[in-house]
Amino acid sequence: MTVQYSELIQPERVHGSLYTDQDIFAEELQRIWYRTWVCVGHVSEVARPGDYVRKKVASQDVIMTRSKDGEVSLLLNRCAHRGNLVCEDQRGNSSTFRCPYHGWTYRNTGEMLGYPYNQGYGGKGKLSLGLGRVPRVDTYQGFVFASFAADGPSLKEHLGAAAGELDRLARLSPEGEIELTAGWLQHRAKANWKLLVENETDGYHPQFVHGSVFSVTGSHIGTLYSDKSTAVTRDLGGGHSENDLRPEFRKMEPMNWFGTSEARVPDYVAKMRALHGEQAEEILIEGAPHVMVFPNLFVAEISVFMINPVAVDETVQNVTAVQLKGAPEMNRRLLSQCIGSVGPAGMLLADDSEMYERNQRGVTARVPEWLDIRRGAHRERVDENGFRIGAANDETGMRGFWSHYRSLMEGEAQ
Amino acid sequence: MNQWIIASEFAEVAVSLDLDANGPRLRLEDLRSGHVRHLDALELESIAWAPDERLRELIDPSAGRWSDRADDADGA
Amino acid sequence: MSGVAAQTGLDIREVEQFLYREARLADEHDYDGWEALWTDDALYWVPAGGDDTDPERQMSVIYDNRNRIATRIKQLKTGKRYAQSPPSNLRRLISNVEIVTVEGTDTVVGANFLVVESRERGTTMWAGRTTYRLRRAGDDIRLAYKKVVLVDSAQALFTLAFLI
Ligand code: FES
Ligand SMILES: [Fe+2]
Repeated sequence: MTVQYSELIQPERVHGSLYTDQDIFAEELQRIWYRTWVCVGHVSEVARPGDYVRKKVASQDVIMTRSKDGEVSLLLNRCAHRGNLVCEDQRGNSSTFRCPYHGWTYRNTGEMLGYPYNQGYGGKGKLSLGLGRVPRVDTYQGFVFASFAADGPSLKEHLGAAAGELDRLARLSPEGEIELTAGWLQHRAKANWKLLVENETDGYHPQFVHGSVFSVTGSHIGTLYSDKSTAVTRDLGGGHSENDLRPEFRKMEPMNWFGTSEARVPDYVAKMRALHGEQAEEILIEGAPHVMVFPNLFVAEISVFMINPVAVDETVQNVTAVQLKGAPEMNRRLLSQCIGSVGPAGMLLADDSEMYERNQRGVTARVPEWLDIRRGAHRERVDENGFRIGAANDETGMRGFWSHYRSLMEGEAQ
Repeated sequence: MNQWIIASEFAEVAVSLDLDANGPRLRLEDLRSGHVRHLDALELESIAWAPDERLRELIDPSAGRWSDRADDADGA
Repeated sequence: MSGVAAQTGLDIREVEQFLYREARLADEHDYDGWEALWTDDALYWVPAGGDDTDPERQMSVIYDNRNRIATRIKQLKTGKRYAQSPPSNLRRLISNVEIVTVEGTDTVVGANFLVVESRERGTTMWAGRTTYRLRRAGDDIRLAYKKVVLVDSAQALFTLAFLI
């Protein structure tokens, strides 16, 4: 079967089969998940030499390791002997991995170290087999990205303008670094991964889906996405997009972006002022980004999400709290607020997830076949940096996602 | 006896200070097999200074424990 | 420890009756009734990734103080908490109830549970062990602490928006 993506993905609508068709899902794995740069974790999860954590890239079981000389590797969790899993624990510290099946032993860089009773192979060092390595690994602001394609655009090229948003996140730390050390909630949803991605970019839904929590907490988030909001949705290119809330935050006091005030986090604010001088105001007022990095990294101010597809109608959304290096006073609050909001019981994300699942059931209906993505197309404009922007609740981000998706799905297979 | 257990999914070793000899020694016990080794101060110093490759040679399963040579195999 | 927590006078039958009542209120979405069981210093905790995490430093599925329990209940009561609107059909079994220890005014109780949740997505089983801290308040018993360790706490979980 050859899918005509140009028919399924049109400027103002996309076809329902994109969320339900097994063949399309299989093709996405090859053309997106095992090819482009996918975010798998953060260097702070393997802070010390010998640290390792298990990760997933779609169905691929990957071990993220840090070697003695500090290098971060992504190894496939598959023994070179008979393909057994080499690591069973989710995390640990070991310079070497020994497969439990027959004892083949590897360095945490993947290189073969030895195997038992080596006369059976003619002696020591006769096998040049090692663990599989993800062909390309690179990091940006500590985020670790994997590409299963041996060549292609560099991570820098892939991130493009989205890199600046990750910079904006990191500069909130007095030491210029974020850490993802709070562990992950793994939230499973019976929905296609693209319904999650689109929802992350969607400024139209918060007032509806999250009205319940906004009304009981008096949260200002709803107004950020209202029709009166001056926030914008920006297509950053490359499938990335942001809900740029800065125009609203700039009308507020420092730290209001985080729903708090200077007085509540005096040590942090003092540290930032001492460090950045006059520029501290801008940082403390503008706060953290709200950016969807194609295809699976979503930063929603205080929470970091990594989306992982399991099946055409099943996705796991991993989420953790942003932790700012050198800001313990902030970190407690970030964690607490994040726990309240996200994950299976989160006061925001449980309702989003309910929508992903209802959306998945809905799109299986045979008519009207299409999902509409035209909101705000008529009022889209180009900003001073050449990016397409729409109103806070326009579908500009979704259109950007689909145009990049289409280019990957139509391009040469690898 | 003060004892620490250093464990990963790959190995579990009890480490303790043995004061029964004329000088102190570190006692290592492989908890999965019961195999014990003592290390004196100079041996420990040598391990601390051993190049990484030497340590890796020891981790090679065929280097000792699972060697084909009958004299140093433990038959585990 | 015997069946009676001597200093506080909570006996195992009383404890069980309380746990069953708490379970029924949660199953039947009697939000006000359930919320009224809690003390002012309440803590409601569902850890993720095992049972020995530090909730002040690591992510939990739920880590609610009394204030946040109130917010959670208010949200449920709006009728627009979509993850529970419509509400799941729930029934849970509580068993293996043990009085573990007595700490000051609190009786620490452990019990196993199995919840069957039915909603349009399908039927989901939730199982685990709960640790409760119970405190006598006049003729009543109050819940000061509830830690719910799911057997699946280290796995990816479906939405868990009902009262577990
Ligand atoms: S499969 Fe790993 S050693 Fe045999
Ligand atoms: Fe949402």
